[in-house]
Amino acid sequence: MDFLKSGLKTVLGAPEPGHQPSGAEIVERLVDRVNNSTLLEDRRDACRALKAMSRTYRVEVGAQGMDTLKQVLELDRADNETINYALDTLNNVMSPTQFEEEENNPRVPMNIGEQFTEMFIKDHHNIQLVLDLLDEYDFRVRLSAVQLLTSLLTNRPKDIQEIILVKPMGVSKMMDLLGDTREVIRNETLLLLIKLTKGNANIQKIVAFENAFDRLFEIVSSEGYSDGGIIVEDCLLLMLNLLKNNSSNINFFKEGSYIQKMLPMFNTPDEAEEAGWSPQKVSNVHCMLLIVRTLVSPSNSAQIISSCQKIMKNVGLLDALCNILMSSGVPADILTETINTVGEAVRGDVTNQEFLGNVMAPSNPPRPAIVVLLMSMVNEKQPFSLRCAVLYCFQCYLYHNEMSQAGLVQTLLPSSSDMSSLTSGQLLCGGLFSSDVLSNWFSAVALMHGLIDNPAQKEQLLRVLLATNIGSSPVSLLHQCTLLLQQTTKLKSKVGLLMLLCTWLSYCPAAVAGFLRTGAVSWLVAQTCSADHDDNEYLLQGLSAFLLAICIHFNDDTVENYSKESLRQLLTKRIGVEVLTSKLCEVSRHELYNVAAKHPQLRAKLPNDVLIDYEFCRLFKLLESVVIQSLSERRPENGAGSPGAERASPEDGTLLQYKSLIRQQDACLQELRLEQQALVQENQTLKASLNDSLSAISHLKDENTLLRAQMSAATAIPSQAPPPAPAPLTLDDSRVQEYETKLQGLSAEVTRLAGELKASQEGQKAMAEELEKIRKDQDDLLELLADQDIKLNDYKMRLLSLGHPVEDDVAAPAPHA
Amino acid sequence: MAYAYLFKYIIIGDTGVGKSCLLLQFTDKRFQPVHDLTIGVEFGARMITIDGKQIKLQIWDTAGQEAFRSITRSYYRGAAGALLVYDITRRDTFNHLTTWLEDARQHSNSNMVIMLIGNKSDLESRREVKKEEGEAFAREHGLVFMETSAKTAANVEEAFINTAKEIYEKIQEGVFDINNEANGIKIGPQHSTAGGASGAGGAGAGGAAGGGCC
Repeated sequence: MDFLKSGLKTVLGAPEPGHQPSGAEIVERLVDRVNNSTLLEDRRDACRALKAMSRTYRVEVGAQGMDTLKQVLELDRADNETINYALDTLNNVMSPTQFEEEENNPRVPMNIGEQFTEMFIKDHHNIQLVLDLLDEYDFRVRLSAVQLLTSLLTNRPKDIQEIILVKPMGVSKMMDLLGDTREVIRNETLLLLIKLTKGNANIQKIVAFENAFDRLFEIVSSEGYSDGGIIVEDCLLLMLNLLKNNSSNINFFKEGSYIQKMLPMFNTPDEAEEAGWSPQKVSNVHCMLLIVRTLVSPSNSAQIISSCQKIMKNVGLLDALCNILMSSGVPADILTETINTVGEAVRGDVTNQEFLGNVMAPSNPPRPAIVVLLMSMVNEKQPFSLRCAVLYCFQCYLYHNEMSQAGLVQTLLPSSSDMSSLTSGQLLCGGLFSSDVLSNWFSAVALMHGLIDNPAQKEQLLRVLLATNIGSSPVSLLHQCTLLLQQTTKLKSKVGLLMLLCTWLSYCPAAVAGFLRTGAVSWLVAQTCSADHDDNEYLLQGLSAFLLAICIHFNDDTVENYSKESLRQLLTKRIGVEVLTSKLCEVSRHELYNVAAKHPQLRAKLPNDVLIDYEFCRLFKLLESVVIQSLSERRPENGAGSPGAERASPEDGTLLQYKSLIRQQDACLQELRLEQQALVQENQTLKASLNDSLSAISHLKDENTLLRAQMSAATAIPSQAPPPAPAPLTLDDSRVQEYETKLQGLSAEVTRLAGELKASQEGQKAMAEELEKIRKDQDDLLELLADQDIKLNDYKMRLLSLGHPVEDDVAAPAPHA
Repeated sequence: MAYAYLFKYIIIGDTGVGKSCLLLQFTDKRFQPVHDLTIGVEFGARMITIDGKQIKLQIWDTAGQEAFRSITRSYYRGAAGALLVYDITRRDTFNHLTTWLEDARQHSNSNMVIMLIGNKSDLESRREVKKEEGEAFAREHGLVFMETSAKTAANVEEAFINTAKEIYEKIQEGVFDINNEANGIKIGPQHSTAGGASGAGGAGAGGAAGGGCC
């Protein structure tokens, strides 16, 4: 401190006697000096002094000196020393860490560095100033600029990333520094880039474009790969950043043949076994394993995963990983991570799965690596995380691979001849019935994965018999499982067995029948109805309800007392559909269900977190609504839900449902079409007949009016005729009267005809007949009229002959066709 | 896997001119009619043969949208070749070429080979830019010109390969400094005759050669 004070004295001049200047005052004077001094040396000294004070008086230096220091960066670029002081001062002011000097100073807020950072980056030009200084070759300036950027990134990562991204050459400049021959700068740059690339895909891509992978592998190899120091770890961390969730970069990594370059990382020299692994080597290899897993992570697209897996197999990376698995002296956490990595490297790739199945452990006698791994899984002395990893690896080995699933079940069947050697199936059965709860759960889940989407193996597994006690008759595995389920009091064992049974029984009526024959239904009903109320109890009730519902849905009515319908009635009576449905809902509400449903890998830190499996969640989601539907279904003959139609796999089941639905709809459609055609035809004929009738009516109307006219004309003649000859023609009179009555009769007939016509108008079908009738009548009438005409003429003649004048116009009858 | 040279390309041009489709046609030999907006930059790669030598092309397909312009600028510097693409059915994409060219010349290394591409030549009926205009623009600015169709694959191979030929010639002439990777050119692991796929030993040798050439 004395040195500091004397230094200050030279800069500030001797203090006035009797007055001890406060820190703030000193800072103020120093800032003034930097601002106003014309001599470079003065400004440089003042900057040096500010730097010295910036740790103790961070608030003061930051508040008063920020603008001045920015100005120095801009104007004094020619003097590296001054620039260096300014950068260091800024770095101190904005440092994210708390200095020793501040520890007992309550005036300094905790996030003071972040607050100053916020002020500093308000003007984006300031970042540009610092970026420009990266071009400066001077060691101190370059180093200080890198460190300052690192501090800024630590404080406000998102903001700085966005600012740097839009600066042309911003990222490129930093990448250039990776090639700096001075290791300190290169190493600091690595730290800077790790911060810069975190969670920003665009920056990650640019960094990859700027040959980052080449540079990083150069450094890693020059440092001696996994035996290198922390620099190797930093390089790997940066690679990890570049690849995580960045499919474009993963693609680039794959296309650029970088997977091959990882190989030397995993070379395990034989002589080093005794020497053990240094902590740094453990970290390095761990990082490298994480990189491998990033490439084949189940969250990537299937295309990327599969091509990376193929390359890993072809270049011998999978081989190298398996060598680590089987070599001795590997630290437990590396072994655990290697097991996980091997799992993901084979997951869903038949060739790689087969390769893993053929790896032999160098034990005596030699055993398959899978068997050795499973031995660790069911061994309670092994670390918990290692056992979880083995389960995951085994799941990956079985994933989407009917051959490895069949292989597992095969080892349990009586036909497998070689009884002397230990098999994976035997290990799992042993684990299933061991006293170790975790072994129960692991084994149940592992066995369950051997059955997923594989109806053939579900039926094969029914054939498995166990010899429980010497002398007693063998018991089927299914029966033993249900017995164990009823006997055990351990939650994990119960859940594990229930999940196994649910998977086994789903889409497999034969297994359902086998299960029903064991008579465990009543126990399940009781379990479902139990009245305990904690989360885990709810889960058990829900799982029991689920198993019951599966027993109904996939029931083919072969067991007499437990047919689909009788089970349904039993449940409705004992539990009720509503209650059963609400119990089912409890399963997906359990906290650990939601954790498990997120990722295929079991991510449990503690044994207590182990309860539900990812694939079971998938099955549950798929079947929940289906089984609820079949619970409330009334008619069992409804073909859509019949178990026979849904045996193959869940996809097939729904497919068949849809197919039959489509077929039904097709038939329906066909029927409706025919019906519609018939209706159209009917409509047309009706329309035609209506038209015919209408025209007939109008025709008849015309004729009718014509007839009426004729009739009225005809009646007019006789009524006019008699008066001219009253006396002399009595005989004639009587005759006329006779004709008159005849005429009246005729007119009555005409009115009747009119009525008939009207009736014919209403009844369209009768019209034709009516018409005929009317025509006939009309003909008769015409005949009569003709007769009458003749008679009238006769009378006229007679009247004329009697000397009675007759008017022509009245007498002339209308000519008629 | 072994290659004599590795060239880095970028594809630039307005949004919707078919940059991603050109890349897809070149790397996967297929056409995707739906316009899927590129976010930032996407990567593709393919091996070609020039003069009997295997050449690996690493291609970065950039987003055409203005919003990504500042990001895509970071890719100019490290590229050996650029495909500058316009759409012959949209006059405005042709009009913007000058801006693109200025941007590219400003941020790239001076030797970068730029190929001018008039894409969508299959849509002759909707053509707005004459082939002669494209030729004239290319002549004026010293670019290579070609009309392509990512849909029918016409000239797509040629566009990428001719650009590579141009770069290859420049290397033969000694214009490019092939030891500076910032130019977008890398020499392959030369002596790995067995290839990297022959087990651990071969891959180890490949890795060593890769280290030695840089």
